[in-house]
Amino acid sequence: MKKLSSIFIVDDDPITVFGIKRMLKPVAICDDIQIFQNGKEAFDALSERHTSGKEIPAVIFLDINMPIMDGWDFLKEMIDLDIHERVIINMITSSIDPSDYQRWNDFKERCPHQLNFKNKPIFKIEVSDLDGFHMAS
Amino acid sequence: MKAVERIEQHFLLRQLPQATVLVGLDGYVIDASDSWLALFGIPSKRIMEVNIFNLLEKVDGLKENIAANKTYSFRHKCGSENEFIWLESIITPWYDERENIVGSIIQSNDISREAEKELEIDRIHSILKTKSEVAHVGYWEFDVQTENLFWCDETKKIHQVPLSFEPNVNEAINFYKPGYSRNKISMLFHKAIEERSPFNERLTIITKNGEEKWIQSAGKAIVKNGEVVKVFGTFQDIHDQVMAETKIMENEQLLTTLIDNLPLNVFVKDLDSRKILVNKSECEYLEKSPKELIGKTDYDLYDEEVAKISREEDLEVLKSLKPILGKETISIKKDGTATNFLTSKIPLFDLNNKVSGLIGISMDISSIKKKEDQLRNLINLTSIQNKKLINFAHIVSHNLRSHSANFSMLLQFLKAEDNEREREHIINMLTQASDNLLETLENLNQVVDINTNINLKKEPINIYDHIIKVRHGLTAFLEKNQVLIKNKVDQKLVVKSIPAYMDSIIMNLLTNAVKYRSPERKPIITLTTKKVDNKIILSVSDNGLGIDLERYGDKIFGMYKTFHNNKDAKGFGLYLVRNQIEAMGGKITVNSEVDKGTTFNVYFNEKTK
Repeated sequence: MKKLSSIFIVDDDPITVFGIKRMLKPVAICDDIQIFQNGKEAFDALSERHTSGKEIPAVIFLDINMPIMDGWDFLKEMIDLDIHERVIINMITSSIDPSDYQRWNDFKERCPHQLNFKNKPIFKIEVSDLDGFHMAS
Repeated sequence: MKAVERIEQHFLLRQLPQATVLVGLDGYVIDASDSWLALFGIPSKRIMEVNIFNLLEKVDGLKENIAANKTYSFRHKCGSENEFIWLESIITPWYDERENIVGSIIQSNDISREAEKELEIDRIHSILKTKSEVAHVGYWEFDVQTENLFWCDETKKIHQVPLSFEPNVNEAINFYKPGYSRNKISMLFHKAIEERSPFNERLTIITKNGEEKWIQSAGKAIVKNGEVVKVFGTFQDIHDQVMAETKIMENEQLLTTLIDNLPLNVFVKDLDSRKILVNKSECEYLEKSPKELIGKTDYDLYDEEVAKISREEDLEVLKSLKPILGKETISIKKDGTATNFLTSKIPLFDLNNKVSGLIGISMDISSIKKKEDQLRNLINLTSIQNKKLINFAHIVSHNLRSHSANFSMLLQFLKAEDNEREREHIINMLTQASDNLLETLENLNQVVDINTNINLKKEPINIYDHIIKVRHGLTAFLEKNQVLIKNKVDQKLVVKSIPAYMDSIIMNLLTNAVKYRSPERKPIITLTTKKVDNKIILSVSDNGLGIDLERYGDKIFGMYKTFHNNKDAKGFGLYLVRNQIEAMGGKITVNSEVDKGTTFNVYFNEKTK
């Protein structure tokens, strides 16, 4: 069981949000799980936390296809925020479009955070999905 | 008495008009006429001092002839070496009463003019001979009276007869090749005598050695006292010249035939880009005769811009001396017709190897170009359709995958869950997922229908009436949202459209406008139509939230793309509308300003079925 201070779930599909929350239960203890319907809402919250010096989420579950601001736009803006903490970002999508995978690869190169790519369906969240320091083990 | 006689004689002699001198046997002058003194420039006082043998010392055999007591004449010069006159003098013995020879009488005539004429004739003869030899121009002369025919040496050489050959008219005419040449010369010769008409004709002879030769024969009657006395003519060997000319003409004929029948436009230009040669194709293309084209520049024939480019190419070729080969060009004639050419321009050199202009060759590739364009359009269309298809396949796969992933996940949860309340919650979620899947399938089905039902017929539809009908169906929805609809569409305007699509387009644009209304304003939707370039445009404007087009411009008509936090937003309506309009050959565009409103413009295509 891993103890986490804060988790963001960014997805417009309530079923996926329900699934992630449920799968987190057996692996993580977290008192601060925030749900956002699109990238814009999540970014506004993240930006507010960053500027006011509040806790930055340790893990973000990020959907790609969302209205208003999609997962990619959110990533771009987040990189620009210049957050010092290394955040684990799990991109969760049902897309099997190779161009999405390619984009993930490009982002991984220049993103200071840990960027994972997870194709739906997912049945379990591993501890490794919550722990950025694989190299430490 | 004697003295008187002498004086009379003396006076008589002095006045003789012909220069006359009396000399003694010793050669001393005894008396002379004034004219003689003047001729030799001797003052009358010194008359007795002059000795004829000194005066005429240069005349050979003078003494001997005088001693022989003969009368004879001779020619001699008189004066200095540089300035002299020619004299002809006659010496006769001078007898006294007793028939004794006492001296000589010499009479002199100034014959300078005759002598010069003779010299001139000699000179002319020699020139004529030389000229005749050099130019291969012989001459002949026919005496009408005696029927004598004279051939000069050159004329004989041309006939390849020995110089001793003496021709007559019959023989001469028989040298001409039987047929045209012989008949012609007979007639011309006859006419020259009878009608005094001169002739100058190219004909063929067969020489003594049997060679066929081209000659130029000319003749002219010489008339004396109203009678034709002679016929004089020239005779020239022009065989090599004619052969060369024939060869040139043959080459020219070959070249002209070749150039004229090439399926290419060929032209030659001088250094000022003036046309100096054009072939048939070029004339046909420019719809002008060669005469009208020669001397013209491109500025006279083409659109100014095209002419300018062409002149620059010409200058480049003339300057660099390097040809332009197979360049794609567009020519626009004065009347505006444009033709695509594959043009080559090659520098043209004169015999001194100096550039004198250029040869241009153009191939009309308009039809190839047109086919290429058609092909490219087809490829573009195909690739657009292909992209649409791939896009659609991705949409389908993504949408179905996301639902199936949800099912899998929820079912996995259900299997592992013992808590009855939690199980119920999961089953509710499954029901929700199932409904979502159904809706998605329905939506996809609509899109597939549009793209497969290409056989739906367009019908004339009155837009105004149609808007009223759709509006009627939406009454409850519109009233609930307090929407004001301004139908400003031309009431008589009719477009050809598929009725079901028209319904869908109007309904989606209306509901879209209401969905994205501003919470701060009562929604107003204005519908208008206009005609631009014979195309009918239906515009639907609202005063809603507006869309940041710079950010979402290309995504707005995408499937399941919504740009507002709105519960009703499904992101499907505009995708459907675009598919329906495009299926009818039209298009849809959008203008928008955030927090001001949005306008959708629907372009109807009247041409396609």
